[in-house]
Amino acid sequence: MSTSTVLDTGPSTVPGRTPRAAPSRGAGYRAIRPYVLALAGFVVAALFALPYLVMLLDALRPSGDVLATPPTLFPRTWQWNTFGTILSDERFLHWLKSSLIVAATSTVIVLVIAVPAAYFTARHQFRGRTIFLLIVLMTQMFSPTALVVGLYREFFELNLVNTYLSLILTNTAFNLAFAIWILQGFFSSIPREIEEAAQLDGCSRIATLWRVMLPLTLPGLVTTVTFTFIAAWNEYVVALTLIQDDARKPLTVGISSYVTGYQQSWDQLFAASLIAIVPVVILFAAIEKHLVGGLTAGAVK
Amino acid sequence: MSSAPGGGAGAADTAAPAPPRGNRPPVAAGSGRTNVRSFAALPWLGPALVLIAAVVFYPAVELVRASTSDYSITGLRKGSAGLENYVKVLAHPDLGTVLVNTVVWVVAVLALSLVLSLGLAQLLSKEFFGRRVVRWAVIIPWAASLVITARLFTLLLDYNYGIVNRFLLAVGIRDTPIDFLGDDRWTMPSMIAVGVFVTLPFTTYVLLAGLKAIPSDVYEAARVDGASPWQAYSRITLPLLRPSLLVASVLNIIYVFNSFPIVYTLNDRNPGFAHDTTITFMYKLAFKSADKSVGMSAAAGIANVLLILAVVLVYLRVSRWKETAD
Amino acid sequence: MIKRLVAATAVAALALTACSGGTGAGTAGGSGGDNAPVTKIKLVAAEYSKDNTAAFWNKFASAYKAKTGIDLDVQVVSWDDIDQQSSTMIQNNAAPDILNLNAYASYAKDSLLYSSDEVLSDSVKSDLLPNFVQSGTYQGKMYGMPDLSSARALFYNTDLFAKAGIAGPPKTWDEFTADAQKITALGNGTVGYAMPLGPEEAQAEFSIWMFNNGGNWKTDDKWTINSPQNVDTLTFLKTLSVNDKVTQNNPGKTNRTDGAFPLFQSGKAGMVVGFSPLAATLDKDAKVKYATAPMPTKAGGAPATYGVTDYLMAFKKPGNQDAVKAFYDLYYSPDQVNTFIKAEGFLPVTESGVKQFASDPKLKTYLDTLTGAKLTPTDDPNWDRVKLAVQQNIGAAVAPNGDPKAVLDKLQAQAESGG
Repeated sequence: MSTSTVLDTGPSTVPGRTPRAAPSRGAGYRAIRPYVLALAGFVVAALFALPYLVMLLDALRPSGDVLATPPTLFPRTWQWNTFGTILSDERFLHWLKSSLIVAATSTVIVLVIAVPAAYFTARHQFRGRTIFLLIVLMTQMFSPTALVVGLYREFFELNLVNTYLSLILTNTAFNLAFAIWILQGFFSSIPREIEEAAQLDGCSRIATLWRVMLPLTLPGLVTTVTFTFIAAWNEYVVALTLIQDDARKPLTVGISSYVTGYQQSWDQLFAASLIAIVPVVILFAAIEKHLVGGLTAGAVK
Repeated sequence: MSSAPGGGAGAADTAAPAPPRGNRPPVAAGSGRTNVRSFAALPWLGPALVLIAAVVFYPAVELVRASTSDYSITGLRKGSAGLENYVKVLAHPDLGTVLVNTVVWVVAVLALSLVLSLGLAQLLSKEFFGRRVVRWAVIIPWAASLVITARLFTLLLDYNYGIVNRFLLAVGIRDTPIDFLGDDRWTMPSMIAVGVFVTLPFTTYVLLAGLKAIPSDVYEAARVDGASPWQAYSRITLPLLRPSLLVASVLNIIYVFNSFPIVYTLNDRNPGFAHDTTITFMYKLAFKSADKSVGMSAAAGIANVLLILAVVLVYLRVSRWKETAD
Repeated sequence: MIKRLVAATAVAALALTACSGGTGAGTAGGSGGDNAPVTKIKLVAAEYSKDNTAAFWNKFASAYKAKTGIDLDVQVVSWDDIDQQSSTMIQNNAAPDILNLNAYASYAKDSLLYSSDEVLSDSVKSDLLPNFVQSGTYQGKMYGMPDLSSARALFYNTDLFAKAGIAGPPKTWDEFTADAQKITALGNGTVGYAMPLGPEEAQAEFSIWMFNNGGNWKTDDKWTINSPQNVDTLTFLKTLSVNDKVTQNNPGKTNRTDGAFPLFQSGKAGMVVGFSPLAATLDKDAKVKYATAPMPTKAGGAPATYGVTDYLMAFKKPGNQDAVKAFYDLYYSPDQVNTFIKAEGFLPVTESGVKQFASDPKLKTYLDTLTGAKLTPTDDPNWDRVKLAVQQNIGAAVAPNGDPKAVLDKLQAQAESGG
């Protein structure tokens, strides 16, 4: 199935196209449905987590065994202290801190800038609206690898090389596109009636946005926060270029030190990488429930 | 593209997982947007525009300048090169291979990700035992740094010490290991598999958010009408998911085009450009091939952006984005 | 409420646009036109190992500050990224004061560097090993100051050798082939020779074989990449892989770090060309019994050693000459340079260093041959391109359908046309 056929299914079914008759699934299926779904869910979870479980097993064996031929799934010798070693490494903790500061701040600023822009774009028609959305989209088309030379020049002139601010500004700008696009979609999808009702109740424009609209766009906000945080958390090439102090490097740049052409600590590289996943999963676990629950179902009645 | 009766009227908006409103009147664009003067938009859009201008467009202008400059291999600018860098890139003997690779890579990763994500999003939108844990598991490839995931897969897929080959041998699927990353027949499929794996979480969650925006009463109505599950899916879910699909595919086109770590890392044992895409081609021109020219690399970078822009515009046109957005 | 949001937006916009101030580390070196001495210089250093490189340079910076009163900003960059980083800096006229890299000649050609006459004390220069001085010299002046060196040797697995009934390391290529065949015949996935001709370090692997067949990259100042000896050498390597089948799978697409070395470390390869950092890893793992020997030569003559050195080059910038000179003076004091080299597990670059390291029996194989070690032509700026061409092409020659002569002819043509 190609993309175009997916999208080809227009808003209304084209006349003359007979939908394929679906196999009828009777009461028998309904009875086992919870089990089928849970099983499917388990298989999916296993497939996604499996490579990283192997990574965990690699972190728990001496580095020399990680690339051993023939390979074994479980370590020949268990090396339990890898994670302890990493977590007591001062340099690693610095990198972790840098990543947290940069990713969290960038995410907040993206929301502060993208929400008003998306809301306005969704609710108003004005000259240049399409251009604005395209310009925003175009920011995604430049690969940071290509732009990094110009970024260095700019931040060098501004005396901002080697600062968190330079990374925060860059991450914010590069992630605005996604946020604006997805949020303006969600804002558009909220029936105007809801907003008007709120305004009739005496809410100001901003209060409406804050109290009525934002809660309704929670799935979009969750997606935006997740997306931005992850993108900033995993950004590599800009941080590599703009940060020179070891202590200010983010994790992505810092952990490349574990494996060089001359000395390899695969166990530590993988342990550090697994620790780096944890904050993202915690963040996601904390906000994931807002993805659940219908959006405007029944709100307009 | 089929032209649905009713044209764009009432069609969903750009990125809008729009809930259908029963008998939406065919008013202009159906967006319910108020017309305002452009300057009224400035306070709302200003910060975004300023930031984009400073952090994206200024460096982009520098990139254009670099693409028309003549550089020594140290990076020292020696003067203007006119369009020579572009000519050299276009005349590069490996350009054809690189372009074909890029098309295969983008189309395959995008199509496979979308199809699989539709199923995954459907599954994750259902209630079942352990759903939260499954959702956490699905996010892991997204949460992990791409560089690390790519490195991990070079280990998993290795000919000698790769656990995947160990498994294939152990269960008797193969007698000899597969050189996933060194055999020319396997390199691209392996890169695509990993590319899909890391693209799925993002795509799935965009589609899941879209699914969640579809009110359940629509389905109830369909059920009352006696629609089979497949009919309900193809006639209601997919059309209403269209905006989310559009966002997911447009952004994915861009991300997959520009996806560097997977192609570069999984391919780093292969000499030459046999399995490179435009983005790794660009990098190698500057630092890894005998061309070693940041000018050519910048020209390739500009060409890459123009290529993506063209593809996205065609895509948006085919999927009638503008019609519905205005 | 509107007011608050507008205000917040305005503040954000201000914070984002008025990007002056901040806590930047400042531009390295003086940018003023006058030649007032700088108070701070910047070093961009390549990372040899996580544990030692940054630690050494940070300590060095303190010592430097204490001695000169000048700050030394240290940026440690991985080998994978250092070409990109240095290029970015130079494109923006923001070169560091000192750059640590595996090449220098192109920078010297661009007139960016100080020569040793300007920044190296006589006592320091006379202590450097002559072959490294020579490889650091471009058009009669020395620009590439060696930071450390390494020499390659043949590593062989003594257990596998014993099992295959081989008495000692091979001295000739015929013996090499025979030994590799015996080890491969042991079965169980064992290969005679792990040959990394993938893009990572193909030029090193080919160099060491080339030198031991009387070939070279350049002879009498002319490129001789496709000389008959070199074609013979590459054909020999192809034969090992394709006909004799004594190498690992797909040697043209095997890198050193994650390909050939792990195979030897797993005890699955009888022989590999290694260097002292590999020895350190093998000793640490203590899984494989191995010994080192000089490379076998084609006909059994005196073996040639392949040596490598990296460079510390200094960029000409207003007011930084004295600071740079002080940097070299301190770096080449035996306490510093030899401490660094020892920590990283490499070989010395100075006469005094060779004396100091001579007491270590593990380094004997290398030290004996270090002064006679042959290097790649790093003194030719064209080599900086040719090296890349070699890395990206040599692997194809050892594939089943590979054509060693055609590959070398192409490289020769590329070298002659200026890379």
